[in-house]
Amino acid sequence: MDVLFLFEWLDASMLATISKSNGGVFALVQTVHLVSLALLGGMSIMLDLRLLNLLLRDVPLLIVVAETKKWIGVALVTITLSGVYQASAVAIKLYYNSFFWSKMAGLVIALLLYYAIKLPLLNRGVDKFHPWTIKLVAVASLTTWFGVAATGRWIGFS
Amino acid sequence: MLNKLLYDFAMWLDSQAWSISLHESYYLYGWIETTHVLTLAIFFGMLLVIDLRMLGVVFTRVPASTIARRLDFPMMVGFLVMVVTGLLLFYAIPVRTTQSIWFRIKVVLLLAAGLNALLFRHAMEASVVSWDIDPIPPKRIRYGAVLSLMLWTGVIATGRMIAYDWFDCHKDMSRLMYWAAGCVNELVTAEGY
Repeated sequence: MDVLFLFEWLDASMLATISKSNGGVFALVQTVHLVSLALLGGMSIMLDLRLLNLLLRDVPLLIVVAETKKWIGVALVTITLSGVYQASAVAIKLYYNSFFWSKMAGLVIALLLYYAIKLPLLNRGVDKFHPWTIKLVAVASLTTWFGVAATGRWIGFS
Repeated sequence: MLNKLLYDFAMWLDSQAWSISLHESYYLYGWIETTHVLTLAIFFGMLLVIDLRMLGVVFTRVPASTIARRLDFPMMVGFLVMVVTGLLLFYAIPVRTTQSIWFRIKVVLLLAAGLNALLFRHAMEASVVSWDIDPIPPKRIRYGAVLSLMLWTGVIATGRMIAYDWFDCHKDMSRLMYWAAGCVNELVTAEGY
């Protein structure tokens, strides 16, 4: 299914009119996007390194999971809102940008990995699984999030 | 005087073969900048967790010193890589960066954030025994955490703004702005020498 019409709609929206005509606001929204990225990165890396037994070994896993879950959710909401605002300024260009689609694919995989695999697995208890299963999920998560952030930066270069 | 020295130094860097190669290399420059942003997520991500714990917002059931000490290593690794990649980015485009008002503000904010981090760490280590397990640390520690978050957010914001040419030397600006941005040639022209 071709989704070009969605990008055309975004390009013609009121949001696009605002984002295209306010360079200063656009730059501030980019800062919000970066700070949210750092929040998401900090929480995700901390959780994954805890699962790999490399960080916070003396903090119960349940506490790390509960704390990071809340803030990962907050970061994802702000990243999405600030991302849509930025996308509205260059909607048609993004549609034809392969790095943008790589980022979106990575984002979907990262979200599925977190909400459909990692959290249910942690909720059941890590002791019910082979330690390498947990480590594999943590490494996959780290790799995917780094891929999302890296392809996101390359959108600007292409 | 200082502006002229900085400009001459930037011009000298700009004439180096490696600086030109780095600037003209599409992939290497792109990956250095990507690494700079990725390590920002590591460094600032860890810093956010530490500062939010000092504000009594996250990990309130864990001693503050545990969070600060355990996250210190990955945070410093992130900081180190961020500094190295940042220096390489400066080396690739020295003249425009030296004459960027945003870069100049960023450096000032970086120095202030570094000083605040030193004072904050000293204050924390001197008193942490008395409030380590308190969900909300004392007021002076919270003020330090707020200042840290504000300064580092300012560093990120001004770092992002370097890419914009709103106040580049080729723009028509006031003499004050030319001086603040270090536009030595434009300042001479504006002063009518």
